[in-house]
Amino acid sequence: MNDTLVEKNRQDFRNRSRYSGILINGVLILLALTVILPLLIPWFFVFKTRLECAYNPWGFPTEIRWINFIEAWKAVRIDQGLLNTTIVCLGAVACTVPSAAMAGYIFARYRSKVTEVIFYFVLAGYFVPIQMVLIPLYKLCSQLNLTDSLPGVILPMAAFGIPFWTIIYRSFFQSLPGELAEAARIDGAGHTVTFFRIMLPLAKPATVLAVILVFISAWSDYLLSLILLNSQDLFTMQLRIAQFLNAYGVDNMPRYAAAAIIAAAPTVILYILGHRWILKGTLAGALKG
Amino acid sequence: MEQSIELRNLAPRRSRKKRDLGLIFFKTFFLLPAVLFLVIFMYYPIKETFHLSMMRASGLGESVFIGFDNYLRLFTNEEFQIGLINVFTWAFWSVVIQIPLAFFIAFSLSAYRNKMTNALRAVYYLASVLPSAIVAMLGRLMFAPNFGIIASIAGKLKWTWLDKIDFLGDPRIAFWSVFFVATWAYSGFYIVYIMANIEQIPMDIREAAELDGANRWQYARYIVLPIVAYPLRIIAVLCVVGSLKLFDLPYLLTSGGPGHATKTLGIILYQQGFVNWQYGKAAAVGVVIFLLSLIFTVAQFSWQRKEGDIG
Repeated sequence: MNDTLVEKNRQDFRNRSRYSGILINGVLILLALTVILPLLIPWFFVFKTRLECAYNPWGFPTEIRWINFIEAWKAVRIDQGLLNTTIVCLGAVACTVPSAAMAGYIFARYRSKVTEVIFYFVLAGYFVPIQMVLIPLYKLCSQLNLTDSLPGVILPMAAFGIPFWTIIYRSFFQSLPGELAEAARIDGAGHTVTFFRIMLPLAKPATVLAVILVFISAWSDYLLSLILLNSQDLFTMQLRIAQFLNAYGVDNMPRYAAAAIIAAAPTVILYILGHRWILKGTLAGALKG
Repeated sequence: MEQSIELRNLAPRRSRKKRDLGLIFFKTFFLLPAVLFLVIFMYYPIKETFHLSMMRASGLGESVFIGFDNYLRLFTNEEFQIGLINVFTWAFWSVVIQIPLAFFIAFSLSAYRNKMTNALRAVYYLASVLPSAIVAMLGRLMFAPNFGIIASIAGKLKWTWLDKIDFLGDPRIAFWSVFFVATWAYSGFYIVYIMANIEQIPMDIREAAELDGANRWQYARYIVLPIVAYPLRIIAVLCVVGSLKLFDLPYLLTSGGPGHATKTLGIILYQQGFVNWQYGKAAAVGVVIFLLSLIFTVAQFSWQRKEGDIG
């Protein structure tokens, strides 16, 4: 009697979900299209001349012209920007991740009153919005001769990334069993060797996470580079694109569309190649944070 | 601590003093990079911000101490008032629109899991990974008058009412256009975040609900929602703090205009500091941003305390 009721409920659940499932999946696909369409629509325009685009924006182009791409490339100069962005990303990773790993290790494994005080000092940094310190940062960088240089962007960026990753590393090292480190030390390895040979390799999941997410956040930085970089040669990809946005209107639609495709391409390609890792990293970060 | 005592017993060769010194040296060496970064590029500038916010300071000339004058002037300044209202309106609608939308998508994705689910999630997240300059570029592509995609479609369909709307140039509409673009760009992260938390719910809880005859929406309302209430509140706080710091998208799309329609605290700070060279005023805006985001973060933490340890 009870069993049949259970079975009936189960079947009801499945049947009901069959119809709603189609509807919901339809909505989900529609929403996914709204994400993708702005990236696809430009392809309608890029092969046309301005005139053709004005009269027949949605039809097939009369011929495939690459001139818009060439012009847009010259206007955006994304190659230079991409190089600078990559340097900033690598620099941010190189400055943030090791500092955070080392500090997190001390906070997890060598706790004392002093390290606890320093830990709270680092933790507090997590809540400081970078907007707050822009002006003094700008002044500081000019005093240190760092304005208009890529290190001038990388160093403050690292400072604002370190607190979060120190917290993550700290909790990660706390979750590792202590016996391994102890065994290594009994075998005569020093503190430093124990860290680099034993503990750091064990923390690889945290490191992978940190490298990916620090890279992405450096990749999407706009504000810091806007304030600290002046010369065109040092412009990051974002600044190049912003410059194009301010200089050229949408009235030359084919060129604008070509520029949009060029601008989005590196990120989209990187995302297609690495989306498994990026999503994994974000998921792990979401559950830890 | 325990382990170092043990080691002392095991390895009595070196003197205690020497080892302690070595340990202190090791700790200092490991903490130094992080601490230096923070002191130089965060704590020193913070101190300077508070100091500057009390000064009449500009790019040129002597700075003069004026106490809280900058703050008083800010709060009587129309631009700043509008910026404050904009930021809180933005925060309110982000929480009311973006989070429920993200919850709906995240729940539907995990409740109707099929072959497409992971691909769809990857697509949603793509918009969150795109840097803001590109998002702004695509936003203008859609919203530009005459040549933009919406205007072009409206022209094709002969919908003159739609054709006439100036999405980024009309002060009544610009805010919502920027907000729409932001929803497009930011929701992906919220979806991934909420979905990660939904997928943490053990399968037997779902099966129990299934056996009790709950449909999926009852399951969502009475089981999933209470369980993810805490992560939802975290993103609500992220939303609010993010609105306080908001700069990129409105600045790139409209530069805060037309008029003050899309001014945010971040844009006001930038314009005061790096366009008008009013360092003192800009620093005061920075302090306001800091204090407001502190209030919301502390509120979140006290919630967390009350709830006990969940995360």
